[in-house]
Amino acid sequence: MALVEIRDVHKTFGKVEVLKGVSLDVEEGEIVTIIGRSGSGKSTLLRCINALESVDSGEIRVEGQKVHARMPDLKKFRQRVGIVFQAFNLFPHLKVERNITLAPLLTGRIEKAKARALAEDVLTRVGLADKIDAWPEQLSGGQQQRVAIARCLAMAPHLMLFDEVTSALDPELVGEVLKVMEAMAKQGMTMILVTHEMGFARNVANRIVFMHQGRVWEQGPPAKLFANPETPELASFIASAK
Amino acid sequence: MRSFSLIDFVSLFAALRWTVALVVLALAFGAPLALGLAMGRISRFAGLRWTMAACIQVIQSVPLLGLLFFFYFGMPVFLGIQVPALVAVTIAYTLYTAAFLGEIWRGGLEAVKQAQWEAGACLGLSAWQQFRHIIAPQALRLSLPPTVGFLVQLIKGTSLASILGFVELARAGQVVSAATFQPLLTYALVAAIYFALCLPLTLWSRSLEARLDGSR
Amino acid sequence: MNFLPLWRYQNQLIDGAIVTLELTVIAALAGLLIGVAGAVALNGRITPLRWLVRGYIELFRNTPSLIQIFIVFFVLPTFGLKLPAFEAAAVALSLYFGAYSVEIIRAGLDSVPKNQIEAGQCLGLSGWQVFRHILLPPALRNAYPAVTSQFVLLLLGTSLASQVAADELFHVAGFIESRTYRSFEVYAVICAVYFAMAMSFKALFAIIGLAAFRWPRRR
Repeated sequence: MALVEIRDVHKTFGKVEVLKGVSLDVEEGEIVTIIGRSGSGKSTLLRCINALESVDSGEIRVEGQKVHARMPDLKKFRQRVGIVFQAFNLFPHLKVERNITLAPLLTGRIEKAKARALAEDVLTRVGLADKIDAWPEQLSGGQQQRVAIARCLAMAPHLMLFDEVTSALDPELVGEVLKVMEAMAKQGMTMILVTHEMGFARNVANRIVFMHQGRVWEQGPPAKLFANPETPELASFIASAK
Repeated sequence: MRSFSLIDFVSLFAALRWTVALVVLALAFGAPLALGLAMGRISRFAGLRWTMAACIQVIQSVPLLGLLFFFYFGMPVFLGIQVPALVAVTIAYTLYTAAFLGEIWRGGLEAVKQAQWEAGACLGLSAWQQFRHIIAPQALRLSLPPTVGFLVQLIKGTSLASILGFVELARAGQVVSAATFQPLLTYALVAAIYFALCLPLTLWSRSLEARLDGSR
Repeated sequence: MNFLPLWRYQNQLIDGAIVTLELTVIAALAGLLIGVAGAVALNGRITPLRWLVRGYIELFRNTPSLIQIFIVFFVLPTFGLKLPAFEAAAVALSLYFGAYSVEIIRAGLDSVPKNQIEAGQCLGLSGWQVFRHILLPPALRNAYPAVTSQFVLLLLGTSLASQVAADELFHVAGFIESRTYRSFEVYAVICAVYFAMAMSFKALFAIIGLAAFRWPRRR
């Protein structure tokens, strides 16, 4: 049984069918990057995996459990799946430490006495231990995104989702975030990323999934896919991304 | 006691002329004063800014009823002369209008970006010309929604003149209510007339604001 | 100009000021509760309820507070509900303040980006936890200036209760004036007392605001 099983998922927004029968499996420990043009349905698919969007038909299972907006224990499920957003979404009224420890404390994951140690631990993993008492507003974009990653890590998720997490960053800040993600990958985290960062896709991912017009158009190991794309759509996408 | 009849209905509507008159007077005198206050608040001279700010604070920190009573009862006794009721009330409403509109217009002036002033200066315009041709029109557009909103407050505020005997709408309501022993019908009608006056302005203010947000 | 005759009425003035404060605080608290309930109703899904709240807001914002007080005091008795002056004024002013509060609170809640709420939900927090820890603090901060300025306007607006003979400050002024005939001094002093109360509250609110909302503003 794969960690994530997506079976023939359809989704429509208003009059537009965004996902037209997507099927995908992600094994534990795999790093899967989803690439494709805007409007290909990448982000929507990602958001369906942790029930931020509902699927109209088809099925998504994570660790064998069926995922949908009204699933029992949605909260507990989301504690096992971390998601990092393009806009970071740090809580501006809470310091970095509190941003990180809020959910672990409120969900009973950790007790008050151990909270700061947890924050220090995850911040060290993303290289920001010295920012533990800072306000999010005082941090650069890259630092905020790393704190967002640390915030997810504090919940010890089984799966991490990344929704174009470097697209909103100034170019010089992208590297520090990718480094953190690379380290996570090496530590065996299961990761699904929607990204435009072809370098990361090429070097770190186990598998590339190319989505086009709401379907999985092509998928395979990065080396093979980038060297020998089977479909003209992927070929032109790779060419335009250079 | 007599029953509520057409005469009462008409007298309520006739009382509107005082409501309107008070509003017009307040705006006629208060608006220029407000403009002066607003310009003073953004002037280069700190002393002028502070004085204007203090005046506005004082007027805004006192009940409208207080202003009315002060100028209607207080000032004539102090000055030892007979002040016509209309003059006293007009002074009070004028100051009220000047303070609140002054603040609103100051906000509008300050909301116009500094860059606009600089652009005008670069074109060789004097400070007054910059104000008159570039800043003021933009400030006016920005201030229009809250200005219309204040107009609603002013209309409602004229009801206080009833206490000083002006037979505007609220007073007419009291008179009719006492004469006919029909407080429900009378005050419902009075409220309905105010509502009919104010709601269109409120809605207009909101649509102006929406249009402003859309164009930004 | 002679302020001395007023001196023997200082106790009445103090009593009047206390009643003014009581009326203000009661109307503000009741109005805020109405405001929260109304804001929740407006953001909810029951359409008739939304229309009801909208109607209430427009009605109380587009009619004079004085008329509202008169209606509660003079009209409700015809329905069998006869309230004394203070209570009648309190009810009318609560409804008035509530009508403004609904808009302010709703704007405050809406000012928090949906992203924030999503992020909270994705961390596995419950709906209540998201509301209390993620939605409420920024919403309160954004609503704070408007609520506090409405509070000061309410304080000044309690003067209208004098017209149904509630024993607040303005009514006391009339009483003193009828005894001393010192119109100028009486109303000058009354205005000064209102001014002092209003400025004190503004200062208090400024301090509370600084203490409660310490996180930096968006650049």
